[in-house]
This record gives sequence, structure tokens and C-alpha cells, in this order.
Amino acid sequence: MSTVPLRALGAVVEDREPPPATAAAANTAPALVVVPGAVAGTPVLSAPARRASEPGAAARLVGAIRAQATALLLGVCSLGALVLFWHLATTYRWDFYIRFTNLPTPLEVATQFGLAMDNPKFLTNVGMSLRRIAIGFAVATLLGVALGLAIGRYKLLRQLMFPAVEALRPIPAIAWVPISIMLWPDNEVSIVFITFIGAFFPILLNTVAGVQAVDAVLLRAGQCLGAREPQLMWHVVLPGAAPQVFTGLAVGMGVAWVSLIAAEMISGQFGVGYFTWEAYSLISYADIVLGMITIGVLGLGCSWLIRAASRLALPWLVYSKPSGRI
Amino acid sequence: MNTVLEDSVAGPGLPAGRGQIELKALSMSFGQGAARVDAVQSVELVVAPGEFVSIIGPSGCGKSTLLNVVAGFMPPSEGQVLLDGLPIKGPGPERGVVFQQYSLFPWMSVRKNVEFGLKMQGVPATKRQTTARTLLGLAGLLAFENHYPDQLSGGMKQRVGIVRALATSPQVMLMDEPFGALDSQTRVVMQQILTNMWQRFRLSVLFITHDIEEAIFLSDRVYVMTARPGRIKAEVAIPLPRPRTAEMMSSVEFTQILHKLRNLIREESLAAMGHELDAGGLEGFATEVGPTGVQHLV
Repeated sequence: MSTVPLRALGAVVEDREPPPATAAAANTAPALVVVPGAVAGTPVLSAPARRASEPGAAARLVGAIRAQATALLLGVCSLGALVLFWHLATTYRWDFYIRFTNLPTPLEVATQFGLAMDNPKFLTNVGMSLRRIAIGFAVATLLGVALGLAIGRYKLLRQLMFPAVEALRPIPAIAWVPISIMLWPDNEVSIVFITFIGAFFPILLNTVAGVQAVDAVLLRAGQCLGAREPQLMWHVVLPGAAPQVFTGLAVGMGVAWVSLIAAEMISGQFGVGYFTWEAYSLISYADIVLGMITIGVLGLGCSWLIRAASRLALPWLVYSKPSGRI
Repeated sequence: MNTVLEDSVAGPGLPAGRGQIELKALSMSFGQGAARVDAVQSVELVVAPGEFVSIIGPSGCGKSTLLNVVAGFMPPSEGQVLLDGLPIKGPGPERGVVFQQYSLFPWMSVRKNVEFGLKMQGVPATKRQTTARTLLGLAGLLAFENHYPDQLSGGMKQRVGIVRALATSPQVMLMDEPFGALDSQTRVVMQQILTNMWQRFRLSVLFITHDIEEAIFLSDRVYVMTARPGRIKAEVAIPLPRPRTAEMMSSVEFTQILHKLRNLIREESLAAMGHELDAGGLEGFATEVGPTGVQHLV
């Protein structure tokens, strides 16, 4: 594989030394060594690397498993300590300035969780929150990325729109709640709007930064290969900015949840935030903690989805320099 | 191999007389008023169809500016840049460009990178794939068609860059120090590959380099530029036979051309630094230049 293509080219490349055996070049990745000068920069498996690979791989695997197991163990310890502290503090009703007297025990919350799963009201609340996140976040993604691409690419648009963006950006989404209620015809839309506001600015700003960070030589290369502006936008600018777009999506998702819960607590009907605040009003302590945990788990799940999507959409990033990863 | 290529890539069958580059009284300047910098001045330059022409000169002499104008990245300040008699309006796929930095799209596989230009032209997927695979095969890269650029070595990336530029069957290749970032052994192999590719496809090549030996090894003609503002100082024909081989680089002919070009470049490098240097120190160098160095002046 290594020298044949050169021959096929009719290359008059000197054989300085016999070419190394490369039959195993299609072997698994770790032992693939690139020797730039040796055979026209064709990666070859150097003999020592190949010999070392078998026992080395086994040792590495054991090492990796051990590292994973350690991490898992420490993770369990960490969570266990938290639950243990919670259990002790609430069971023995610690009261030293901070008062654990009214807080539910872990067991009470677990029992409440069991009850809630049978209660359609709780699941409706979860469903409503997820729906609001889905719509608000989707609209924020579409608008944020589209506008971000345009603002990042065209100077005139940037100069025209950025002052307005900069004026609105520092206002936290929660501060929009009263206006939002007045602005939109019904409560549901206003909560979705708050969620949208929370996600929109991180997505927009990261997209703009991503577009501006696209290497100019890639744009030139695209133009030289015949790409017109729309093609350049779709095939070069967007994928080039994609890593930072995903950073924006991850941040935006976090802020979207914060905004959603606040909006639901203030103005809501239904939703996990509403559920949690209602539990407080009704002095249903176990439900408060259940609501908190639910919010945490849902937020975590959504972040995980973004990260999974990013890995799926940007498989090339693992080969790129570490600074490019999110 | 040949038949596969000729079936799928319009390379060798290129009609004669296409791919001629002409620079007429080209001047480039940047900035306005006091901040104005003259990068190149009154450059006359021709690349005949199928000819391999290099431009060498001291750093900062505007070599890359010349290439950028021909590529269509910037309009000429004065004068004309013509491709087959027509003025160049902007970048286009009939002029393949290989950049100094790696310019492969990191999110596309090697093959998708090569297919990009064809995709922009609306060539159907199966045809794109055949062409890309044929060209990658010629460059010894077929085994890596599904790799991402960041998985390749520097030399391989630049080979993919050349192949990508070739995929749209350009009439002209513009190369801006394409091997500048490579180590010396890889460079030598890349130069060999490039001459082979060029002989096969018979395109006009405008090649920018600061490596004199590279310029001689590859070119039919070499233009030497002056220090900024860059002008054409000399035009030197390279009468070495083709195909060129590594052994030629130690031949008497090669060495003579090398000396001549070195002296021309040295004058200019010194001129570039001239103001900072003591005039007495310069005279010693100036006499070394000798008569052979200026014989081929335009």
C-alpha cells in the first residue's frame, strides 16, 4: 500500500531503504504511526511500534478499566455522602442556625416519588416543562444560529444589529417576566418566550464568535473551488462555526432551564417549577425536594442530549486540537 | 491507470492555448495617504499554457500578493491580470489554488474535501466519488479517503490539497509556498509528486517559493523579484530536461543556475536590509554578485 501508489504515479522516488511492511496498516488505530519523511508521508506501522502494541494494549486496557472503576467508586462515595448527610440532618432534625427541622428525609422523598409516578398531575407537569423547553429552545436555536451566521459574516449587519443585541443582552430572562405577561396573549406563550430569551443570547453570541473564528483560508479555499455565497455559508461557514454553536447550545440549554423554572414559579400554571412552588405554598415538603430533584435530572438530561448531538454532528472534532473541543 | 484517468478526469486532453496567465503593468498598493504601502510595481509576467513558472524573491517582496491577485482575492490597483485574454474578476474553479497553510475542511473526510469543487458545480454524487477516488489513487491516498484531515501528516494534507485543486480540472494551478511548512525530506518527495502530476495534467502552474532549489527543480522559468516594492528583476529559463530527477540537483547545469539565482536573490535581500547596514560592509557583497548574475535581466 505504501509504495505502490507512487509507482503508479510514475514517480521517480529513490528507494533509500526497503519499505517497511505495511500489511497491518489497516490495523487498529493506536499503533498507527505516521512517519512523515519515510515513504512520502504515508503512515506505516513501524516494526517496533507493532511489536509493542499487543502487551501494551492489554496493559492500557487494564489501566483504563482501573481508572474508570476508581472514578465510579469516587462518584458513588460523593453522592452517598450527600444523601447520608441529608438523611442524618433530617432524621435527627439538626438545628444550628440552619434548620433542618421541617425538611423531608430521603426516604420520604423517595416514597413521594413513587406516589408521584402514579399521579398523572406530576407527569403532566413534567411534560409541560419539557414542551416549553423544546419549543423555546428550538426557536432560540433557529433564530440564534441564523442571525448569528448573518451578523458574524456581514459587517454592515453586525454594526446595525449588535448595539441592539448588546442593549438587551444584560437583562436576565427573569426580568422579562412582567413584560412578557403583558406582551403575549396567553400565559403559555409568555413562559415559552422567557425560555426562549434565556437560550437565545448565548446561542446568538457563540454563533457570531464561531463565524468570526472560521479560518479565512477555508473561505478562500471554498471560493476557489467555486462556492457561491449561499453555498459558502452552508458548506463552510456553518460547519466551521459548528463547534462554537454547540458551546452556545450547551450554555443556552442551562440558561433556558433557569429561566423556565423562574417563569413557572412566578406566572405559571403547570410545569415542574410551578409544582415545586405550589408544594411550598401547600406545605408539602417532600414535593418541594422532589420538584428540585426532578428539575436537576431534567436539566442534566437535556445537557446530555446536547453533548450527544454534538458528538454525533462533529465526529471530526476528536482528531482536532484539544482546544477545539467543547 | 491511464485509461481510468482519461475517462474520468479531463486532464491530459486539455485543448492547447488555454490556461495562459498574463500580468500587464500590474501594481498593487495597500492603504491610503501616508499609510500607503506599494507592494508590487509594474509587474509584467506571462505563464504560457502548460508552463511551470516560479516566482522567487526576498521575503516581503509581494510574491504572495501577485498570486492573490491572479487567484482573484483582490483586484489589481493598476494594470491588468488576464486569464486567456480575459480579465480576472474573482476566485473561480478554473484556477486551482494550493495554499501555504493547510486549508482542508477539517469537518469533511479526505474524499469529501476532494469532491467539494465538483459538488459546487452540481456534479452527481457517484461521478464525484469516482473522480475523487481516481485522483486520490494517483496521489497514493486512496487508503485514507475516509480519514479526516487532522488524522493525516502535513505532507499528506498538502497532497490532498493539490488533489482537491485538481478535481475541478482547472486550467491553472496557483501555489503559494505549498511545501513551506514541511520538513526537508517530505518536501523533496512532494516536489517529485508535483512534477509528476504536472506532467500528467499539463496545466499552467504559477508557483511561489522562497526555496531557490525547489524553484529550479520544478520550473520551466523562474522570475526573480526585487525587494519591496516588488518588481521583476530577472527572468531565468531552466533548460534542464524532463522528467527531472533528484540526481539532476547535483549536475553542473543545476548548480550554475542555482548560483546565478542565489546571487540575484542576495542582492535583493541586501537591498531590503540596505538602509540599516553600513555601506562599506555592503560593497564587499556587491562585487561578489559578478556579471553572470545580471545576464538574464529583463
